[in-house]
Amino acid sequence: MNDWYLSNIVLVQSTFTTLLLALSVQIPMRMGVFSFAGIGAYGIGGYVAAMCMVHREWTTVPAIVAGTLAAGIATFLLGLVVQRLTGLYMGMATIAFTLIVAVLAVNGGEWTGGASGLFGALGDITTGLIIGCAVVVVVLLQFTEMGGLGRRIDTVREDPELANAMGINVARYRRLSFLASGLVGGLAGALVTLLRSTITPDLVNFHLVVLALTVIVVGGSGSWIGALIGSLIFVWLPTWLVFIGEWEEIVYGVIVALAAIFLPSGVLGVAKNLWHRFRTRDERARLKAGGGTPAGETGDAGGRGLVPSVEGEA
Amino acid sequence: MQDLLNAATLGSIYLLFTLGMALAWGTIGILNFAHGATFMFSAFVAHVLSRETPLPFLAAVAISVVVGALMSVATQVLAFQQIIKRAKSQHHAELRILIGGIGVAAIPLAIAQRETKSSPFGINSDYTATVFEFAGLRLSSTALVILIAGLGIGIGLTVWLRRSRQGLALRALGVDAETSAGMGVNRQVMAIGTMAVAGALAGLAGALLTFHLSAIAPETGDQLIIKAFAIVVLGGLGSMAGAVIGSYVLAGTETLVLVAGHGTWVDAVSFGLIFLILLVRPQGLLGRKEVRRT
Repeated sequence: MNDWYLSNIVLVQSTFTTLLLALSVQIPMRMGVFSFAGIGAYGIGGYVAAMCMVHREWTTVPAIVAGTLAAGIATFLLGLVVQRLTGLYMGMATIAFTLIVAVLAVNGGEWTGGASGLFGALGDITTGLIIGCAVVVVVLLQFTEMGGLGRRIDTVREDPELANAMGINVARYRRLSFLASGLVGGLAGALVTLLRSTITPDLVNFHLVVLALTVIVVGGSGSWIGALIGSLIFVWLPTWLVFIGEWEEIVYGVIVALAAIFLPSGVLGVAKNLWHRFRTRDERARLKAGGGTPAGETGDAGGRGLVPSVEGEA
Repeated sequence: MQDLLNAATLGSIYLLFTLGMALAWGTIGILNFAHGATFMFSAFVAHVLSRETPLPFLAAVAISVVVGALMSVATQVLAFQQIIKRAKSQHHAELRILIGGIGVAAIPLAIAQRETKSSPFGINSDYTATVFEFAGLRLSSTALVILIAGLGIGIGLTVWLRRSRQGLALRALGVDAETSAGMGVNRQVMAIGTMAVAGALAGLAGALLTFHLSAIAPETGDQLIIKAFAIVVLGGLGSMAGAVIGSYVLAGTETLVLVAGHGTWVDAVSFGLIFLILLVRPQGLLGRKEVRRT
């Protein structure tokens, strides 16, 4: 176990940083906001943390905090500006924001190191710190997926008008999702930059947007578990599929396209469906045997009234 | 003056590329993110075919156009139609189409990058551009072809969409797909036709840009797609005239920034433009205001 851990430490680290990156895009998505600002925040967080270390000679933790906060604030301000956009317009405006971050980095002169980026920002980052950060973020997110808050967020996503009518301040939820997305994205950027000790404008590119999106779409967009599944798949897949080798990029493209077509809610959605079928198998068997039980009876059986409408005709 | 001419040529390239995207997005509601990959790959196929024997100019362009149209139709049939068929609502479909497009785009990009080792490629041709000079202005014959093709197709498509019955049907689909289908518009056929035209335009733009610059990189398409989006947003979704004006405005602004000596800021122009327009006038310069009923 220990040997395995030591030889795969880089993959373990990148699993959790990828998870954070994916979460920064997933958080607004859960509120129905199609925003890629988290990737821009990743760049801001990385650059601010690196600048703090290189120019100000700060230590690791303050630099990470500075990067995270700067990214959070910048993304929140962006959210205030773009909040009335919807759907694809929002997506593209935030992609534009992300790419502007890269252009600013190229033109930042001495502060950002121009096109060649910043070097020598080697922070004291342990795997424990990365996992710790990821766990804290995940625990906080778990609270937003449970109970009343979770249901309110689902309503904001699925039916904003209904949410407004029920007294949920949709605009406020969406603004806060920008803040959270910026903080998480900035944290990911700061961690990765100080871990690798360099950041260049090329790193904040469209490819990163694709990666985050891929992880979420394949894993599942509804919950942090989906992002975790996606991160695991895409960080570890290349090591399992060595034989694909140079065709890796093509396989990724095929996987994303197939997931977009056939897995509307990702691997997590498939797993949830299977689990649901497994749990309700007795009930379905009984329904089949009984040849269609009245709806009232199934409604009593554990409150899973939805099942017969899907499976009852079989 | 020379700068103005260069801007016009650049604008025509943008226009050829954008028209296809704007047409598909504004009418059948598909924002094809693989449009950039189609553009790049159709020029790439011409490059591969011309490795052994030099191709004549027209043949190379024709190959690119056909490849572009085929790729675009294949994307539509294999990916987008499957997504639309399975999607719960228009909104869900929109996002999945975007994601599916990104996935599809990765495939030709990876193939081209592998073949060329990510270095720029050109089309081997016996065609050599002749440079015309008049009144101190220099204009290559390729640039002339680009200018004429861009303006001609841009205006032609605008007029066709306004005047013809098919154009009317397409515009009706853009306003309300279900109602127009009920009125006898064949959505499937229209969608495939539109995507074929869009892909052909992408192929044309790809071949012409490759001849103009003598080489393009596999990643060129990705940059263009963001710019094309900026142009569509600037001109207004669903307005072909808007796309024509938007292309030249963006090219003009970029050339201005370049001439003023801020070369590294050129990319910020299109991104900044997206921002500004979306904030000040979300429906674009010539766009109609979208009405959403719930």
